[in-house]
Amino acid sequence: MAARAAAQADTTLLQVEAIGKNFGGVAAVSGLSMTVRSGSVAGVMGPNGAGKTTLVNLISGLLPSDSGTIRFGGTEIQRLAAHDIAALGIARTYQNVRLFSGMTVLEQVMAGCFLRRGTSLWASFLGLPKAVAARKAVEAHAMELLERVQLVRQAQLLAETLSYGEQRRVEIARALGTGPRLLLLDEPTAGMNVQESNEIGSLVHSLRDGGLTVLMVEHNVRLVKEFCDHVTVMNFGRLLADGTPAECIAHPDVQAAYFGNTADADRIRALR
Amino acid sequence: MQPLVEFWRAYQSTVAFAIVNAFFALSTYSVLSAGILSFATVTYAAMGGFVGARLVLLTGLDPVFLLPAAMLAGAALAYLVALIFLRLDSHWMALASLALILITRVVVINVPSVTGGVNGLSLPVSIPLGVLVLLLLVAIVVYHRLSVSWYGIATRAVREDPAVASSLGIAPRRIQTIAFAISGAIGGIGGMLLALALQFLSPDTYFVNIAFTMIAGVVLGGSYHWVGAIIGAAVFTALPVLAQAVIPDFQEVANGVALLLIMIFLPRGLVDPRAIRLRRAAREGQGEALAAAVPAVAAARRAGGDAP
Repeated sequence: MAARAAAQADTTLLQVEAIGKNFGGVAAVSGLSMTVRSGSVAGVMGPNGAGKTTLVNLISGLLPSDSGTIRFGGTEIQRLAAHDIAALGIARTYQNVRLFSGMTVLEQVMAGCFLRRGTSLWASFLGLPKAVAARKAVEAHAMELLERVQLVRQAQLLAETLSYGEQRRVEIARALGTGPRLLLLDEPTAGMNVQESNEIGSLVHSLRDGGLTVLMVEHNVRLVKEFCDHVTVMNFGRLLADGTPAECIAHPDVQAAYFGNTADADRIRALR
Repeated sequence: MQPLVEFWRAYQSTVAFAIVNAFFALSTYSVLSAGILSFATVTYAAMGGFVGARLVLLTGLDPVFLLPAAMLAGAALAYLVALIFLRLDSHWMALASLALILITRVVVINVPSVTGGVNGLSLPVSIPLGVLVLLLLVAIVVYHRLSVSWYGIATRAVREDPAVASSLGIAPRRIQTIAFAISGAIGGIGGMLLALALQFLSPDTYFVNIAFTMIAGVVLGGSYHWVGAIIGAAVFTALPVLAQAVIPDFQEVANGVALLLIMIFLPRGLVDPRAIRLRRAAREGQGEALAAAVPAVAAARRAGGDAP
């Protein structure tokens, strides 16, 4: 198991090359390149408006890119539709939780599970035994995933009645339902307290130990330091720094982007 | 006993039309449940109605055996419509489907070899009410199965958020194309049933009046569950008949007022699974809180008594 994990860590799962996206005249992402190694937890940091969410949208196929390539396990995916990318094994959550209104927690997660465990429409239509069995399997798998995110007790509740932190965990379970190889988490701990954030962190670690690769957008420097193996820092849609969390946080450009540069600091001191 | 029999005689045809309208409402519900507002059911109904009626006249077979032909004709037409319509944004799609109704009437007038043109078609056979009821039961079983299968969850996902559904591997276009085909199949059957109930078809049989009944039925019944379509269709078939009996002068006004009242006070319709779930959750929440606060109640509950 450990040997396999070590072998996996050497291979590149996701390779983004010179990807670009413009909204009107604004370059949300421009010429960005990065790689995510298989079996790692990769972090994406950057100030507000740096283009982090746009990057996640480009990788998951929610937005079409203007230029560049994205390779996932050797397949070029930048021209594929979102559902084809999901079928290849990329799942995601959203910065502003996007659960389906009117569905129970269990149904939300089941919606993700049908990708790998569905049956043909005719089979369900005719009520064939295999369709019934498949549906039971989907439900059982969804319950397993809910257990993983500690939401079994809430399974039959409408998702919109849950707390914010719980809704975020429903989203993670729903994404896991698609049986991904790469999980994209867009600010999974936004609006959470310290304890909830730590729980998400340990969930991410246990997922990685189970063989999943995770790419997470995260603001919280402490969490990035604690949970990510590798960090990419973005600013104004471009790559600012790339490396281990410690390297990135110590990087002068990153310091400047987050806390202002030393010249600014001197000027502020002079004003006092 | 006698008044009951008379009542039944008088309103038997209303029940038959309520069932036919239920098919139209289910057809509209099929696409609405996948997030598409389309009036094209009228066109599928015309297809199924004229194809079915013409086949009855040509073959002389029992119409029940020809229903599959009407169903397939409707589904095939709906598939073609889906190929074109799914390129449009939602509000344009609704408008385009209205245009389709107008085109349908022109086409019906201009292919007299099938439709009888302006003179219409007379059908020598009818369909017993029992068979209509049976067909509705079959439709109910099918819709129930679909709604609890992956397709039911997938359509709701596509309706609520197509982008998120797509990122879960659910292809919105594919789901919506299936929804169109189902809508066409059930609309085609409804069209043929209408032909058999009326025993006469003219270019005006399948026109905007059907569109009104079906959309009103779905809005009233609730567009979030298939039961709503059936209930809504029944109400909107019975309403004009009742209004005719009670306030004959205001029959048409009553229709419109009823629809307005529903939209204002019950925007999600009579049958709303979300509200039912919320109420149930609230009740259970209350029950739990009460049980926690008063041990005696909890004990009574455990004992199986229905303590208040």
